[in-house]
Amino acid sequence: MITSDNARPVPALVARDISKAFVSGQIRTTVLDRLSLEVMAGEMTLISGPSGCGKSTLLSILSGLQSVDAGVVHALGERINDMDKRALERFRLHHTGFVFQGFNLFPALTAYEQVALPLDYLGLHRGVARERAEAALAEVGMASRMHLRPMELSGGEKQRVAIARALAKEPALLFADEPTSALDADNGQMVIDMLHHIARRHGTTVLCVSHDPRLIGHADRLLTMEDGRILEDRRATRTVDATLATESR
Amino acid sequence: MVALARKTLIYEWRRFLPAVLAVGFAGLLQLLQAALVLGIFGGAAVYITCSDADVWVGYPGTQSVDQGHPISPDVAILLHMDPQVDRVESFLWVNGDWHGGGTGAVSVFVSGIDPGPHGLMFVRALSPRLRARLTAPDAVIVDRADLGKLGVAVGGSATINGRRVRVVGVASGLRALGGVNVVASLETARRLDPDPVDAGRPTYLVARLRDPARASFVVDALRGHKGFGPYEAWTAQAFTRRSMLFWLFDTGAGAGVLFLAGIVFLVGAVITSQALVAAVIGSVREYATLNALGVGVRALRWVVLEQALWVGAVGLAGATVLGTLLILLARGEDVPVVLNVPVTLGCVLLVLALAATSGLASMRSLRRADPATLLR
Repeated sequence: MITSDNARPVPALVARDISKAFVSGQIRTTVLDRLSLEVMAGEMTLISGPSGCGKSTLLSILSGLQSVDAGVVHALGERINDMDKRALERFRLHHTGFVFQGFNLFPALTAYEQVALPLDYLGLHRGVARERAEAALAEVGMASRMHLRPMELSGGEKQRVAIARALAKEPALLFADEPTSALDADNGQMVIDMLHHIARRHGTTVLCVSHDPRLIGHADRLLTMEDGRILEDRRATRTVDATLATESR
Repeated sequence: MVALARKTLIYEWRRFLPAVLAVGFAGLLQLLQAALVLGIFGGAAVYITCSDADVWVGYPGTQSVDQGHPISPDVAILLHMDPQVDRVESFLWVNGDWHGGGTGAVSVFVSGIDPGPHGLMFVRALSPRLRARLTAPDAVIVDRADLGKLGVAVGGSATINGRRVRVVGVASGLRALGGVNVVASLETARRLDPDPVDAGRPTYLVARLRDPARASFVVDALRGHKGFGPYEAWTAQAFTRRSMLFWLFDTGAGAGVLFLAGIVFLVGAVITSQALVAAVIGSVREYATLNALGVGVRALRWVVLEQALWVGAVGLAGATVLGTLLILLARGEDVPVVLNVPVTLGCVLLVLALAATSGLASMRSLRRADPATLLR
C-alpha cells in the first residue's frame, strides 16, 4: 500500500448501507443487505465468496453499472447513486476501467484499435491517444503483437489487450470481474501480476472479484462475502504480521 | 478515430451480406421500375420529346398528346405574329386500323408530319434521309420493334383504314403506348383520315422559338385571342408532363407503381433491419463493454446507423452496376427504359432512407448491451 506512515489512506469508493434485491415473478431475492464498505485509493482489493453471494452485484454498483435500492455510493468523492445515465456514462468514461471474464474484443479490430477505440471518445488528441494506446500495450507486453486481431491471439493475450484497453484511459478506478477464470495457470498468474502492478505503479484503485485463490496473495485487502454481507475483512500486511507472530511463538 | 462500423462491415462481411443484398435488390427493383415507368409512359409523349418544337397548340383541355382534336389552321397566324416564333408546322394525328401480313387488324396512330429537311417533328428519331423518303406517296415509317406486330418488312405494303401504304423505312424510339406509331407525311396522313370533319384541320400546331427559354412567355401571349376557334397552348415541357401524368395516374398504372415501390421498400427494410439486428446482437457484449468503459449509448447508436448507411452505400453500388448492365441489355432489346437524373437521385435517396430506417429499427437491439450483464 502506497501511503506514508502519518497519512491516512483515502477511500476511493464508499458504500453506506446499500441494499439491492432482484425480483423475478413473485420471488424477491435480496442480494445485498445494508452493506457498508470503504475501498482505499491505490489499493488492490479482492472480493471473494461463493457463487450468488452478491460480489458481482457489489462490483457493478460500486462501478456505476447498476443502481442501488437503498443506501449511498460515493466514488472519487462523487455521489454516483443519484447520477442519471448520461452522467454515469461520463463518470465511467473519465474515471473507470473494466476487465471482464470474457475478453469482449471486437473481432474486426486489431489489438491497437481495441485499445485506441475508447480513447477516441475521451476526445484526446490523435497523437496523445496513439501514445497512450501504444504505452498501455507495451505495459502488458503486447507491443509486438498490437497489429493482430483477436482471432490471432491466445486467451492470455486477449485478456492482456482487454487490460490495456482499460489501462490506456488512465482510470483512477479499475474493476475486474473474474479476470483469470477463463485462463490457464500461467496466463492467470500473469494477469494477476499485471493488476497488482497497475495498482502499485499507477496508484490505481483496483477492485477485483474472483474465486481464484492465487489472487489472494497479491491483494492488499481481502473481503470475503456471503449472503450479501461482508463476513471477513483482512489486510495483507496484517495477515503477514499474524503469520510472523505465530512463527515467533 | 477507429472506424469501428466500417472495419466490422469489411471483416464480418458474411454477416452483413443479407443486408447488402436486400438493400441492393430493393435499389435495383426501384431503379428498374422507375426506368420502365419512364420508358413506357414516356412513350405517351414520344411525339413531343422526339421533336424540336418548343410550343404546342391543340384543342383546349387535351390531357395527353394522343387525345387531340382538330383545331383551326388559322391559329398558325397567331403563332407567326409572335416575333419569337421561328417556324410553325402542322401535326396531324389519325387513328387507324392496319391490315396486312396476315396479322389481322392492328390499332395504329398515324402521325402526319412535315417531311422536309427543316421539319420539327420526330427530328430525334428520323434522320433527314429517312424523313425525305416520306415525301413519296403512301410512304410510312414504323419502329423497327413493331415490324413483327405489323407483319411487314421494309418495302412491304399494307393498308391503313382501307388505303394502301408502303413501309419505306424503320426507326427506333417510336414505340407508342397502347398501339403502334406510324409516321407519314401530312399529305399521306390526310388521305388516311376517313373523317371529313378533319379535312384540312391539323390536330396540333407546333412551333420552334428563336429562344426556347421564352416558351412560357409565348404560351402566355397566345392566350385569350378570339376568332380562331377553340385552342390552347402549352410549352413542350408542360405538354410532356401532362401526357405522362395522364397515362401514369388516369390509367391506374401510377397507383400500381407507387404500391409496388412501397412493397419493395417495406420488404427491403424488414430484411435489412433483421440482418442488422443480428449483426448488433452478435457484437452485443463488445458494445456493452464499450458502454461500461463510458462510451455513451448515443455514440453506440451512431455506430449502428453508420453501419446501416455503409450497407446502403455498398448495396447501392451493386445495384448501380447491375442496373446499368440490365438497362443497357434492355435498350439492346428495344425494351423502353429511360433514366433521368432526378429519378435516379430519387432512387438513391429512397435506398439510403431504407438503409437508415433499417438502422434505426436495429438500434433497439442495443438495449441488450447492458454492461451489468457482463458481470456474473
